[in-house]
Amino acid sequence: MKDLLSNINKAFESRVRLGIMSILTVNSQADFRTLKDILEVTDGNLASHLHALEEAGYIISEKRFLNKKPNTVYRVTARGTESFRSHINALEELLKQKK
Amino acid sequence: MEKNNHPIDDIKVIKSIMEQSTRFLSLSGLSGISAGIIAIAGALAAKFIINGPVINAANIIQNVTLPELPGKTFSLLLADAAAVLVLAISSALFFSWRKARKKGSRIWTPVTARLFLNLSIPLVAGGLFIILTLGRMEGSIVAASTLIFYGLSLVNAAKFTLGEIFGLGILEIATGLLCLILPGYAFALWVFGFGILHIAYGTFMYFKYKG
Repeated sequence: MKDLLSNINKAFESRVRLGIMSILTVNSQADFRTLKDILEVTDGNLASHLHALEEAGYIISEKRFLNKKPNTVYRVTARGTESFRSHINALEELLKQKK
Repeated sequence: MEKNNHPIDDIKVIKSIMEQSTRFLSLSGLSGISAGIIAIAGALAAKFIINGPVINAANIIQNVTLPELPGKTFSLLLADAAAVLVLAISSALFFSWRKARKKGSRIWTPVTARLFLNLSIPLVAGGLFIILTLGRMEGSIVAASTLIFYGLSLVNAAKFTLGEIFGLGILEIATGLLCLILPGYAFALWVFGFGILHIAYGTFMYFKYKG
């Protein structure tokens, strides 16, 4: 049980962060607008969660210009993919234990 | 933000967000129904152009060799085919656009772009194949080609929209191949593939996905 909980990653406890990681795991990249539309959160809320995940080294951002407007694209890092996978596995293990 | 969620809810959220961000889920059942009705109307119009106003069981299964048709009839058939294509695609787009707008989703996203690209490649290749061989092929082979290429497009696009589209694609391909085996029934099979299958799938999806 102790092992299981150690894989439950605090960084993914919030639904918004879970959502960001879900999107970036199945898409090679996503921009701020796309993330915001799918997750239905405010700019500020999304930005702070993105920042936290970037600080943790789970995602990287790249600023570029699209039609002369700034556009930030996010990608998941190898470390992010690995951590997210262990997090999902831990959730599934927890479910099995509860049954 | 709520913390310590139940793991089963977390897994559900992950699954639903992964699906939403990779698939266009606003495909409307009405798109299928309208495309099917337009296809049947177009097919009946084609029969009318070839056989005149009398439509009976005998000329429904009668085969047509396109190269033998007079030029005027041939042009009318082409106009009919083009009208069916344009009307079916625009009505399908209209109903899905309406459904997406109702749900408040954006229409043009990286997902819809991928959906269109994957749908278009086999469809455009098939369209060009038919145009380039037209006048050299029997009606049954033209009908089979439209069904097979359309089925391949659906199979290819199914990864980016509702999964049922894969099954519809397989059935369209099978109907097309059957057209080659039973050329005498090409007309009826074409009506089945583009008309009946679309209406049946559209109705099923309309009720399953509520719209």
